[in-house]
Amino acid sequence: MSVLHVLFKVDGTEYAMPAADVVQMESFTGATPVPGAPAHVAGLVQVRGRVVPVVDARARFGLPAGTPSLDWRVVVGQLGERTVGLLVDSAREVLKLDPRTIQPPPPMVVEGAKGFVKAVAQVGPRLVMLIDFPRVVGEEAADVDGQG
Amino acid sequence: MTASGEFAEFLPAYLAEVDELLASAQKDLLAVEEAVRRGAAQPRAVRELFRAVHTLKGLSAMVDVEPIVALAHWMEASLRLADQAGGRLPEASVEPLVEGLRAIEQRVRQLGAGKPASPAPVGLLERLEALGPQVLESAPRRTRAVALDVEAAFASRLTPSEREQLEGGLSGDQRAVRLDFVPSAERAAKGLTINTVRERVAKLSDIVKVLPLSGAAAAGASLAFALLLVTRAEDAALLEAVGGPPATVRSLAAAALEEAEPVASVAALASGGVDTPAPPLALDDALNDEPEARRGGGLLRVEVSRLDEAMEWLAALVVNRSRLTRAVAALTQAGAPTRELVAILQENGRQLRDLRSAILRLRMVRVGDVLERLPLLVRGLRRTTGKAVRLELDVGDAELDKAVADRLLPALVHLVRNAVDHALELPEERQALGKPPEGLVRLTSHARAGGQLEITLRDDGRGVDAKAVAKAANAPVPESVDALLDLLCRPGLSTRQEATRTSGRGMGMDIVRRIVVEQLGGELRMETRKGAGTTFSLRVPLTVTLLDAIVFECAGLKYAVAVGTVEELIDVGSVVRPAGVDGVGLVERRGAAVPLVSLARLLDPAARRAPSEADAGPTRECKALIVRQRGEPVAFAVDRLLGQQEIVLRPLEDPLVRVPGVAGATDLGDGRPTLVLDLGALGAAHLGRRGRKPRAGEWVS
Repeated sequence: MSVLHVLFKVDGTEYAMPAADVVQMESFTGATPVPGAPAHVAGLVQVRGRVVPVVDARARFGLPAGTPSLDWRVVVGQLGERTVGLLVDSAREVLKLDPRTIQPPPPMVVEGAKGFVKAVAQVGPRLVMLIDFPRVVGEEAADVDGQG
Repeated sequence: MTASGEFAEFLPAYLAEVDELLASAQKDLLAVEEAVRRGAAQPRAVRELFRAVHTLKGLSAMVDVEPIVALAHWMEASLRLADQAGGRLPEASVEPLVEGLRAIEQRVRQLGAGKPASPAPVGLLERLEALGPQVLESAPRRTRAVALDVEAAFASRLTPSEREQLEGGLSGDQRAVRLDFVPSAERAAKGLTINTVRERVAKLSDIVKVLPLSGAAAAGASLAFALLLVTRAEDAALLEAVGGPPATVRSLAAAALEEAEPVASVAALASGGVDTPAPPLALDDALNDEPEARRGGGLLRVEVSRLDEAMEWLAALVVNRSRLTRAVAALTQAGAPTRELVAILQENGRQLRDLRSAILRLRMVRVGDVLERLPLLVRGLRRTTGKAVRLELDVGDAELDKAVADRLLPALVHLVRNAVDHALELPEERQALGKPPEGLVRLTSHARAGGQLEITLRDDGRGVDAKAVAKAANAPVPESVDALLDLLCRPGLSTRQEATRTSGRGMGMDIVRRIVVEQLGGELRMETRKGAGTTFSLRVPLTVTLLDAIVFECAGLKYAVAVGTVEELIDVGSVVRPAGVDGVGLVERRGAAVPLVSLARLLDPAARRAPSEADAGPTRECKALIVRQRGEPVAFAVDRLLGQQEIVLRPLEDPLVRVPGVAGATDLGDGRPTLVLDLGALGAAHLGRRGRKPRAGEWVS
């Protein structure tokens, strides 16, 4: 059975996560920085009255910082009790992914991606990385994060 | 509309309660009638009647019996006015009230018989509605000969009802005064803060409003509070309550008119014949006074999530109101006629505050109830450790927010367990040391200034062995007790059982600190003497939801801090920069040197790393907030003060952003979160690590 996924781009690469885990998508007009939070946390944004931390996907993936653009989106995901946003370069597509096209990532990708990519899907000629959202968001409290 | 369908299950309870209310209302109405016939006022009965009708209306609204709500509403409206007029009703008003009560009773009977309540008779409703103006007309003219000194009373910041209370104080046999309290470090040390002052003054007077003042209004001081009171107490007694000068008392009667007093006294005498007229402000308090008695001692279990939901809605209202306020201010500036809008806004503000405190009270639990599990814990420990222990609880009757209580309890359990497990010696050992065989663990708590609860846990055990702790932590022996506590709270320490046993403490202290400091934004301190015992002092906020905050700007961003945590606001003039103390300056405050740190540098690690900027430190001519950090005053330099307002504090629950020094976030109405800082904790977290080689991420721990 095909599962609906949200597709987004970070530094030219396409990523996806199940639409069921996505609460909504917001345009990004800046986040309130939180002193002492891990380096990959862009800050706080307000989504429908809730205060939500935003993880900067570029920082998390170890990519160079991008130039702010109107395309930037915050993909707001639900992680059990937690609501966390992921800041991405753009997010325009929602797609049904056929499980038969989804493969485990090659070992090199697994290593390079710190476990953030849990599978690779083939959509026509394109390759889409299925992210492990909980892992990308992380649980590290500020004081145990080595990157802080 | 009828009490049917979804409300049917509540009907029996409703009928029982309404019956009682009707009975007491009838009794009071008879007393009122009797008084009216004699031409006297009957404030007590009028008030009781008002309360009964008020509750009737509320209960009926809950089960959706619209006819009774309508009847009670108009009765309540006129009774409220009568109460404010010192308990006076015109003779003609008694009959409609009697009929109104009878109409309510009829409808209650219909409901009791399983029938729908018939609609309220329109004629009667109209007569009841007309009562209000009649009551006003017949009320003794509140003579304007005693006018409020508009300037001294900050009349523009008063709601109509607050103003009325003060004017009522002026025209009655009481006085309306403004008492200015100037907080200071010395006074705080003596236990005199705005909160204790509030309590002390409340014993002498009815506090109508407390206004924080800054700038010119504070007459030289950077922060002062004006308490507007209705009182019978002497000036000297009031001054004493706030610690004497520089506090001041001034009458709120407008100077030019003060001579024209006789008219007022006559009015006061006339209404005060039978029963002393209580000032109108007592009314709402009286309603809140004995909720238990009113509800027949009933308790209601409510899921916290439902209360949280109500808080959320309230929060949305508060945010909306501040947007509305800004919009109206803009209109006013553009020259639009906004007088009425402003009045409505002020009333709306008062209603919001009332709603807020009502909801907050719902969330409060008594400290004593929170701690009731501890004796059981100690009994268990007595058995497992073979130690003789006595637990003394002295917890007062402070109340704290359920959310705080839930988090606090595990920390206290840890501390008590540590005290018995590790700190107390075995009976034989104690006797050999000349101590009583039975160890003592004493827990005290009381509410403190700034909405804080202070809890101390003292044991008379062996004390913390600094050397053993240092050895266990593989660190040099700490020089101060704060450093020792830091060491005890290191995460790894708890896992070393051997070390823990010899050091006497350490078990889970990192968790205790995390709860108190990081989750609750509180403070944890320790005192210990070898062989004599250890005392832990915790200071946590009573509530973490809504607070009065000072909003300021720093490095281009807005921040808020709780007013209660700020001791003083100062203008930074000249700063002395001692050599070798990176980026910390000194400012003079009343003869003492206070360290001055740049908040911008604390907040932005990039600025801290750049040495060139570090040298610059706080810029000249800035403002600074003085906050106590580990008991010592520290000034935090900020760029600009933006004002003071009530904010909704949203705790940051997500582990990614739960950092020390940030109490939560709030929405100032601009659609983006504003951080609410806990400057004391922020400074302690960052400055405390100064001088040591920084480890990645360490400065936040």
